[in-house]
Amino acid sequence: MAHHAPDQTQQLGEIPKPNTGWIWKTFFVLVGITALEFVFVFVMEPSTLRNSIFIILTIFKAFFIVAEFMHLKHETKGLIWTILVPMALLIWLLVALITEGSYIGEAVYNIFK
Amino acid sequence: MSTTSTTQTLSPSTSHEEPRSGTWDGGNEPFKASYGKLMMWFFLLSDAFTFAAFLTTYGLVRHRHLAYTGDHKDFVFSSAYWPIPDKVFNSFPGLHGMDLPLAFVALMTMILIFSSVTMVLAVEAGHRMDKADVQKWLLWTLLFGATFVSCQAWEWSHFIHGTDHGLKMLDGTTFFGANLHANEYGPVLFADLFFFITGFHGTHVFSGLCLLAYCFIATTNGTFEKRGHYEMVEKVGLYWHFVDLVWVFVFTFFYLV
Repeated sequence: MAHHAPDQTQQLGEIPKPNTGWIWKTFFVLVGITALEFVFVFVMEPSTLRNSIFIILTIFKAFFIVAEFMHLKHETKGLIWTILVPMALLIWLLVALITEGSYIGEAVYNIFK
Repeated sequence: MSTTSTTQTLSPSTSHEEPRSGTWDGGNEPFKASYGKLMMWFFLLSDAFTFAAFLTTYGLVRHRHLAYTGDHKDFVFSSAYWPIPDKVFNSFPGLHGMDLPLAFVALMTMILIFSSVTMVLAVEAGHRMDKADVQKWLLWTLLFGATFVSCQAWEWSHFIHGTDHGLKMLDGTTFFGANLHANEYGPVLFADLFFFITGFHGTHVFSGLCLLAYCFIATTNGTFEKRGHYEMVEKVGLYWHFVDLVWVFVFTFFYLV
């Protein structure tokens, strides 16, 4: 291995031990939530309650991926808000357009009655 | 010689000894993140808007159609109402004719989550300047990512070719599978949205694989070691986790709900 610039802080060939406990912990949380989602698919009939459970569990998974894997939890407050605030606006887009979709559907089906 | 020195003393910029470092003068890092990482975050934010637009469209179109109201086990495909996803995605490679609702997509989800884990391990190895470990974990991530794209190719192929029974059309013919104009599963837009949403996500995974391949080659050549940091691996890692994140949402809104 060619060493062009000798490293001042660490001896040649000395590499710190990996610290991976938190990575595997996050992994098991993600796998656990996904498994829970499958339990709900098979034990519950489709309903608004079941869909709400799925959405809440999805947000949990998203939190662990963004906060731990993407390291956002350990960034500055300013960066966290810069990412989260625009995303929050999308919730309104979703609510507004789903309502709009139901309305369009109703209008289309009722016009021929 | 003397003329130049006079102009320099007269110039206002040299009257201050210290470089300007006020809030708006540059050289200020309010987010304490490097330029590259910050721009990757902003790119991902814009990309999240694109995917959110796709999934919101799915919500709008789904609510514009009727929902199936009958019993779950009596469900049959019809273009009159929106299909139940676990009745559409119930096949597994090599297990022909068996009803395995969402089993294959569960496997795909696990593969992608696992590739995210190997990616964090590569980033972590990069922080320790451990070249061999970075190489090892990047290769694992490449392997899982490629497996995911291959699974998606199978899923698409099965979706396009269709089931054994197909759908009886009004003119008496039977239609198998799906294209952009017709499909046996439900309304035309169901297949269209499947192609657009999973296709756009698959394209992202493919771009991620290209970036990972670049990172692996650059790590092997010692480019990052000479540079003194593995920030490129970190930036590609952000992108890769984002692809995993999008899949989590696609999985919920397309396959579960």
